[in-house]
Amino acid sequence: MLDAIVAETLKLRRHRATWLMVWIFPVVVALVTAAVLVYHSVAGAGAPSPDKGAATWIANSTLLLRFPSSSAGRSLTAGFAALVFAGEYSWNTWKLIVPARDRWQLVVAKWVVTFGLVAAAMIAADLIGLAATAIDAVRGDPVPAGVTVPAIAAAHLRAGAFALVPIASTIAFAALFAIVTRSLLAAVILSFALLIIEGLLPIAAIYLYPRAPALVEVLVKALPFYHLANIGGWAKGTGVTLLLRPGTTVAMSLAASLAVIAAWIAAAAAATLTRFIRQDLN
Amino acid sequence: MIEEAPALELRGIGKTYGRGDGGGGGGKRAVDDVSLSVRRGEVYGFLGPNGAGKSTTIRMALGLIRASQGEALLFGRPVADRTGLARTGSLVDGGTFYPFLSGRDNLHVLARTQSNRTADIDGVLARVDLAADAGRKFKGYSTGMKQRLGVAAALLNEPDLVILDEPANGLDAAGIQDMRGLIRGLAAEGKAVFLSSHLLHEVEQICDRVAIVSKGRLVRESTVSALLGRGEALRIEAEPRDAAIAALQGRWPVEAVADGLRVAASRAEAPEIARLLTAAGVDLFTIGPDDRSLEDIFLSMTSGTDA
Repeated sequence: MLDAIVAETLKLRRHRATWLMVWIFPVVVALVTAAVLVYHSVAGAGAPSPDKGAATWIANSTLLLRFPSSSAGRSLTAGFAALVFAGEYSWNTWKLIVPARDRWQLVVAKWVVTFGLVAAAMIAADLIGLAATAIDAVRGDPVPAGVTVPAIAAAHLRAGAFALVPIASTIAFAALFAIVTRSLLAAVILSFALLIIEGLLPIAAIYLYPRAPALVEVLVKALPFYHLANIGGWAKGTGVTLLLRPGTTVAMSLAASLAVIAAWIAAAAAATLTRFIRQDLN
Repeated sequence: MIEEAPALELRGIGKTYGRGDGGGGGGKRAVDDVSLSVRRGEVYGFLGPNGAGKSTTIRMALGLIRASQGEALLFGRPVADRTGLARTGSLVDGGTFYPFLSGRDNLHVLARTQSNRTADIDGVLARVDLAADAGRKFKGYSTGMKQRLGVAAALLNEPDLVILDEPANGLDAAGIQDMRGLIRGLAAEGKAVFLSSHLLHEVEQICDRVAIVSKGRLVRESTVSALLGRGEALRIEAEPRDAAIAALQGRWPVEAVADGLRVAASRAEAPEIARLLTAAGVDLFTIGPDDRSLEDIFLSMTSGTDA
């Protein structure tokens, strides 16, 4: 299995999309950080920032970890995952690697590498951001009392863990679309459609609730859209309460939302494996 | 001594696309009830016109396509078992590789996918005369270079069975000659080689046995020499033909062909045939061995297909 993962990494590290859709995040963060540092060294330090308090300061320092789980970040991830899986059809290369290894291992290796690269890019960007914060502190930007390294580490680990859930979900569905459609374009379009539907869900749920209240409530609780938003909310401290009509809300615990998303990811993964293992590669 | 199972064995294998059985009940039967076996140390040719089911058969043997009926065995084990696939190298579709990687990196990726950490990548690249271009991206390769890289990939895991789908496609005359030597060399090393080709002259020169498929069915399997029937027939030009046929029928099987007669008789019987025809008042112009090419036989067996 490790060899399949190494092979997938060897393959992707040379592909332009890995730079344009994954490494672009830490690269942009590094460039912006460098530009700000150069500006400060030329223009001199500005007025010190007002004291925000330790909790706010630490929360702000995790901002970069929120990008990969945002719509823009997940769009990039979806495009990359679609390329990783559907690219083999475009290049006609399943015929090269399928005789060499079990199909399920090839798919699992792709999941691991796609997820690993996106997570690595996110961690790299976060570390660059933290380094910039540390440089600012050394140069005199005040750090509120109560900000400690363990507190920062705990906050970043928590924010990172929350960010990885929607990333895993995005990869699982993009992979499924790629295997089912065998088309890069179709996989990208379907993945983006899913993200758009997710964004429209609150409006659609509120609009449709008076027409079919029971059905809408079931769908909100069963489909992944609300739960992804809810997990994002819990990452900031409190879950999302969806107001369907005055007096009727959906508000679920973090554990419940994680369980529903885990079930959807597992279902998408099972469907991907089942479909690919039975697929004829003409 | 225990005899090892054939390197490749197809047992009544078939493939039907779509719903149904490929007959009147719907579906399209691409391959139907093909059985053959390939032994180690032999070069086995798989011939057929376009659309005859050659590529589908090869893909079933490699586990790329699921058989609708029958089974494919590699070294006595079902393809799904994968132990046989680990001893098999293959070239399909003229070499399919990642266009953004170099030839060498493509082989690195394949070797690692095979869990082959000691692959002699430079060795196989040199063997197919691609060492000088190994650093270039695959998308810049010519058709012949792609084909050679495909052969290098097929040899990467030092296989006991090499399956090659149209290995001479895109090669120039010198390349074809090199390929011929390479394939015969593989057989000399004790490997089994199963190749499909439409270059019948090449197949005639390098294969020990051949199978001919037409419309998805196996129409003939034989050694090349038996198929060609060398020394087993005479070709005669004589006039009038009807009188010649009348004179010879009863003694030898006679068949009217485009430019004369084909008589199932040995070379030693030629003088007797000549005397018989002369005695019957038939003018005899030529008499000699009937050396039909594989192409003649192939066309006669597959006529009526879309070749």
